[in-house]
Amino acid sequence: MEPPRDDQLIADLQALRPTPRPQFAAELDERAAAGFPRRWRKGVPAFSFAMRMKWPERPLRLLVPAGGVAVIAILLVSSLIVANQGNPGPHDNLALLEPSREQSAMPPAAPDKAGGAGRTATGGEATEPQSESEVPTVASEASIGTSNAGAAVSGTVAPELEPFTEKVHRRAVEHSAEVVLAADPGDVGEDSSTIFEVVHAHDGIVMSSSTREGKPGQAGARFELLIPSDKLSDALAALSAIDEVRTRHEATTDITAPTISTAELLRDSQARIDSLLTQLEGAETEGEREAVEAELRQERRHRARLRGSLQHLEHRASFSRVLLRIETGVAHESSGGGAWGIDDALGDAGNVLTVAAAVTLVALAVLGPIALIALLAWLTHRAWVRRERRRVLS
Amino acid sequence: MAPEVQQALDTRVMDLDSGRSTGMEQTLVAEAKEAPRETDLAFDRLYRSSRDDVYAYVAGLLRDPTAAEEVTAAAFERAYRKRNRFDPQRGEPRAWLFGIARNAALDELRRRGRQAEMSAEPTDLSSLRAEGAEHDERRLAVSAALERLQPVERELIALKFFAGLENREIARVLGISESNAGTKLHRAMTKLREACDGTA
Repeated sequence: MEPPRDDQLIADLQALRPTPRPQFAAELDERAAAGFPRRWRKGVPAFSFAMRMKWPERPLRLLVPAGGVAVIAILLVSSLIVANQGNPGPHDNLALLEPSREQSAMPPAAPDKAGGAGRTATGGEATEPQSESEVPTVASEASIGTSNAGAAVSGTVAPELEPFTEKVHRRAVEHSAEVVLAADPGDVGEDSSTIFEVVHAHDGIVMSSSTREGKPGQAGARFELLIPSDKLSDALAALSAIDEVRTRHEATTDITAPTISTAELLRDSQARIDSLLTQLEGAETEGEREAVEAELRQERRHRARLRGSLQHLEHRASFSRVLLRIETGVAHESSGGGAWGIDDALGDAGNVLTVAAAVTLVALAVLGPIALIALLAWLTHRAWVRRERRRVLS
Repeated sequence: MAPEVQQALDTRVMDLDSGRSTGMEQTLVAEAKEAPRETDLAFDRLYRSSRDDVYAYVAGLLRDPTAAEEVTAAAFERAYRKRNRFDPQRGEPRAWLFGIARNAALDELRRRGRQAEMSAEPTDLSSLRAEGAEHDERRLAVSAALERLQPVERELIALKFFAGLENREIARVLGISESNAGTKLHRAMTKLREACDGTA
């Protein structure tokens, strides 16, 4: 047999061309007419469920509403977070107003109760009360220097000075407030006068005040007030009625612990003084008497310091510190006072967008590496499949 | 169907959904909803013109008629799913379709863990008997020579003479240049002729 010529070879190849069975061709035509519905392929059990599912031809039609729902959910969560952030507790405000008062009100260091023995006495003492046997109490100390402290203390500490744990329900609480009023420049003077009247009507004290006249934005006033704590609510209501309230913050701090500990130290000091007085009565020699007197003087000074600290604490509980400002002109920041307006809306929108951006950033920080790993895995798999496909024919 | 016609029909469908159509329009739109889109029609044309060619190529590559049927069906199914992603600027539809078929065939070979070997029925020679003994012998020799070729060479011949692809389409399917495809095809034919000589 002769070797085939090119045209013969091509003709032979074309004659050898495989042709599909008519039955297969008909079945394929049917599937083509039906849009190639997915079928379960034998030998591929892992994908059996997925292959039999009716997948949409255009998954974007599902992805778009799903994405919309996800975005709405994110916005709702963001709004809730913003709403929670916009309502800080009263203790947060106190921290803003006077962050260091708690520390400054702490009682002085504990006295050296044993240090007085054997010291030399050098004179008398002028700060002692008339009766050395008088036992000081929180209530009696609070009455010193304040006109109505005993009645004004919010949750006054009992004079018996029981242990702290037994008196937790009777708290010494310090109140403070900050009020900003908005006024026309011409009303600043009149508003200031009204503030004085309100303070006096509520038995309060104007610690300091300053008023400034001028154009809108420049004119204003500033008051530091002490208001009896039991009249604080009424006083704030009256102050708020003077003019438009721009901001109003109230805060509380529990000072029960330092109050009780100082009172206990004061009681110990008094007991020590009583003991020294007894020793003094029994002293037989001049030297012994002088030593006891010296120790007595030191202990009395210590008691005076404790009494001052306790008075200060009682004062803080009895009187509330109020910072009142009158501002003129446009408010510098959006606040909760007054009607909700465009500025507030813009501020809220900014907050929502900020939180939404933060949430998105966190989501990206979480999803980014996962997506990157998935992308790398997909690229690796694709490269591996390509290499295997090349290898299968080589 | 032209895009503007389809767009007009889509607009009518929206009008129908919003209750702004008359009864006649509703009938027309209902019919239009059933009308195939342009991509479907184009794919239908591609299917009808390439069905037997794809099968011939896959069968020539796999040498297994049963597997060839499976792979051919799978290839058309994959192509149908991806029909909206086809970009005419990146190549001709037939080259795109044969690329999908090639991947499906290679995946099948990979899955079965073997190379393109004759495992089932050899070429059906019953139709050749009537054409004479000389033809029979020669075609048997060509078939035997085909089996001795490397799978890569056999694929080239299948693409060219079984599927009827042009050299540029072959180049597109294989991801090589057209001149490279021509050179490789020439070498494959030369080897096939030499193999036929050896058989003869």
